[in-house]
Amino acid sequence: MDNPLSQDPDSTWSRFFRNAELEKMVDQDLSRLYPEHGSYFQTPGCQGMLRRILLLWCLRHPEYGYRQGMHELLAPLLYVLHVDIERLYEVRKLYDDQFTDKFDGLSFQENDNTYSFDFKKFLDSIEDDLGSQGNSKKVRSLNELEPEIQNIILLTDAYGAEGELGIVLSEKFMEHDAYCMLDALMSGAHGSVAMVDFFTPSPPAGSCSGLPPVIEASAAFYHLLFVVDSSLHCHLIELGVEPQYFALRWLRVLFGREFSLQDLLIIWDEIFVADNTKLVNSAEDDLGSSFKILSSPRGALISAMAVSMILYIRSSLLATENATSCLQRLLNFPENINLRKIIEKAKSLQVLALDVNVSSSSFPFNGAYNHSKSVVPRSLNLPLDPVSPKTPLSVVPDSYWEEKWRVVHKAEEQKQGSLEKQNSSRRKGWSEKVRLRLSRTESDPSSSRVENGKGDHRLSMRRSLLEDLSRQLGLDEQGEKVGSHEVSSQKDQNSVEAQVEGHDGVSEEFTCTAEERCPSGNVVSDENSSTFSDPTSAASGTNDQENDSEKSSVASNLFIDENDDHSYNNVEDSPLPVSIPPDGVCPNSPDKNDSTGKAEAGLKDRKLLPGKFQWFWKFGRSSVNYETSEKGGGTHEVAESADGEINKRNEIDSSTADVSLSSSSSSKGEVVDQNVMGTLKNLGQSMLEHIQVLESTFQQDRGQGSLENFSKNVLVGKGQVTALTALKELRKISNLLSEM
Amino acid sequence: MGSSSGQSGGSYDLSFKILLIGDSGVGKSCLLLSFISSSVEDLAPTIGVDFKIKLLTVGGKRLKLTIWDTAGQERFRTLTNSYYRGAQGIILVYDVTRRETFTNLCDVWAKEVELYSTNKDCVKMLVGNKVDRESERVVSREEGMALAKELGCLFVECSAKTRENVEQCFEELALKIMEVPSLLEEGSNLKRNILKQKTENQAPPRGGCCS
Repeated sequence: MDNPLSQDPDSTWSRFFRNAELEKMVDQDLSRLYPEHGSYFQTPGCQGMLRRILLLWCLRHPEYGYRQGMHELLAPLLYVLHVDIERLYEVRKLYDDQFTDKFDGLSFQENDNTYSFDFKKFLDSIEDDLGSQGNSKKVRSLNELEPEIQNIILLTDAYGAEGELGIVLSEKFMEHDAYCMLDALMSGAHGSVAMVDFFTPSPPAGSCSGLPPVIEASAAFYHLLFVVDSSLHCHLIELGVEPQYFALRWLRVLFGREFSLQDLLIIWDEIFVADNTKLVNSAEDDLGSSFKILSSPRGALISAMAVSMILYIRSSLLATENATSCLQRLLNFPENINLRKIIEKAKSLQVLALDVNVSSSSFPFNGAYNHSKSVVPRSLNLPLDPVSPKTPLSVVPDSYWEEKWRVVHKAEEQKQGSLEKQNSSRRKGWSEKVRLRLSRTESDPSSSRVENGKGDHRLSMRRSLLEDLSRQLGLDEQGEKVGSHEVSSQKDQNSVEAQVEGHDGVSEEFTCTAEERCPSGNVVSDENSSTFSDPTSAASGTNDQENDSEKSSVASNLFIDENDDHSYNNVEDSPLPVSIPPDGVCPNSPDKNDSTGKAEAGLKDRKLLPGKFQWFWKFGRSSVNYETSEKGGGTHEVAESADGEINKRNEIDSSTADVSLSSSSSSKGEVVDQNVMGTLKNLGQSMLEHIQVLESTFQQDRGQGSLENFSKNVLVGKGQVTALTALKELRKISNLLSEM
Repeated sequence: MGSSSGQSGGSYDLSFKILLIGDSGVGKSCLLLSFISSSVEDLAPTIGVDFKIKLLTVGGKRLKLTIWDTAGQERFRTLTNSYYRGAQGIILVYDVTRRETFTNLCDVWAKEVELYSTNKDCVKMLVGNKVDRESERVVSREEGMALAKELGCLFVECSAKTRENVEQCFEELALKIMEVPSLLEEGSNLKRNILKQKTENQAPPRGGCCS
């Protein structure tokens, strides 16, 4: 029956062999656990406990088995329990009489001395602490003790405050407790973040991404990085640095390899304090379209932590020129770090991460999927090849990411003329000129890419909103304005369709503007090419944190549309006497009048929502008042979808900010309620800010332009005048708004 | 064939990607560390991937070797595909004191190389590690050579601990890679492209960027 040679996987023998295999694997890793901490983790007692716990866990979860890294999740848990118990031991030694059980005369002293650990090394500080109190051994009553010590004593009182709970801190239960903690950590205790997921190579049942969870999670925090600091994100993507290369380790041992044990415990405290329950965010979750890891505060904090770590070494990463050196920095996280700073940043990002998930839940998952996938064709060449961003993007399946790049490249292509096949027929003449220009001005194409990125981000949102739109609007908006809602949702359908068809049109459209601006840009930059480099990076450096979130709100808000994007880019490219704004703006000003009328009716009430949204968004971001944004959850989503709609409209109408701005101002008089007033005021303020930015750019422009070359500037002058008058108008409007 | 390793500057003529694969605990990371920094120490198991860069001069050429080191358990492939991509050299490591690490090489790892390696000409090398523990040896040198022949690999036995044959192992592999015209071209391509990239990157990193 039980033949050792039996092939039956359920026979006792084969189980025996399997277990032997498992033991060997566990032992092999345990013997290498924290070799640098040797004295504690390598003690036989500790190793024995770790081994029993791990083996038991693995046997009880045969579907997972043992995976390298699990032992490093367990070790810190056991260590913490140990430290606590050792502390208790010390306290007990000092305040012996307090521990005597007065009720039945049984001394509570029987220590389980099975384990003999070498704590001493790890408890220096505690011992010092106690040393100073050493002489006050005899205390008459419990109340005279320090609260902390009181707690310790009470916790161990078999009949104390905890009643039937009895002893909380006990060596007897330490192993048991460690097991339970490991199990809870692994399984996530019904929460959303289950560490064991990060060890499974196969996608979980019901995952629509079809990705192993660890890859999905890395995609999630790359997405968060994209929202927070898109320039850094761009850099990493361009180099072909796939997140899973470093994220796999970060996530599997929950940053255990990146920080010292002491620092790690602080980080874990933060992570475990965060709630792991899955936030219910409406129907999106059922569609499974959001990042799972971002669906609970804890998961969000983990992602935020990762992003915060990346940001911490931001400048060092930006300085890298290829994937390997970049990865090298990511895989060798600096040792002397300001932990507080990292954690605080992470916490502030946590809010955003949750937010991002709300917004990205309407974000087609392909986006994230291809995000990691789209890197593939390029990283194919990873350390060996030209990681040029112009490589075969067309290979990538249709997706958000591809769209993004396609649009980017269309614009770039034309400028650089590097892939002339596709548009060889068109404008060869100027593309040559442009190439000339581009060879010197890197910042410019990238800024245009930036816009494209924004456009596209929205675009995908829009696309996915397509599905959610009517439902969301139908459900959420009811209370507000039913009549108009019908109108608007109908319009949406139209515009959405148009949007999908006109998808290419968008990029087309963009290339037009690119074209338009080229002659002048070309001319000017010829003179100016040398001035680009530094200020840009400086500007982006200073801007990054605050402005980025600002910018992202702008992006997803579209309220302040292209024009503002221009303004931002201008600020950053300030030394460049950009003739872009005039070009970008002036074609709009005629549009403005036409489309305002056209769009007004439909946009009227919708405009308010984005306004509100922006408001919430802003506050949510700065985490000054997150409740507000939560409270507004309903509106938030509506706003978001409305947001998308308007975006569509805008693209289709090929009208830009002016439209939305003017129509929003026109709508202001009609729907008046307190909340809206506040929103508008806010809006006005932010508009003012943006306008100021625009104006200052213009001023700079002029100054520089005249210095550089007056005659060339004349060409631009016309557009500038129109643009300036448009600006003045805008200023008036925003003044009105903020005065309300 | 005079060869010496040096850390001189950041300039090099050729650049190759080399992989280390093999069961958990055969000493891949130690081998790498021993080669890179001449130090011998106990290492925690690798989680995911890690890699090191080594500049050395072989056959009169300055080489940059990017050596990727995966966790032995990574054959539970989360990363496999991208890991194998574009490698010019693959080092298959086993532990001469543990037979199963040797048998796994031909049962598991060689198949995986077959499956994932994108580079047909890629040079493979079989390395038996831990020869310092001669008394515990269970896989003979002859067996190793036979398997190497079967798999079409180079073969060397070494010890990360004593550093015996460690440098020779990497140098021999590099020399072999340089003998293969297609790989040589890949290696020098990279060089060119990196230069090109550098000039591109002199323009400022895009400011403000998308979002």
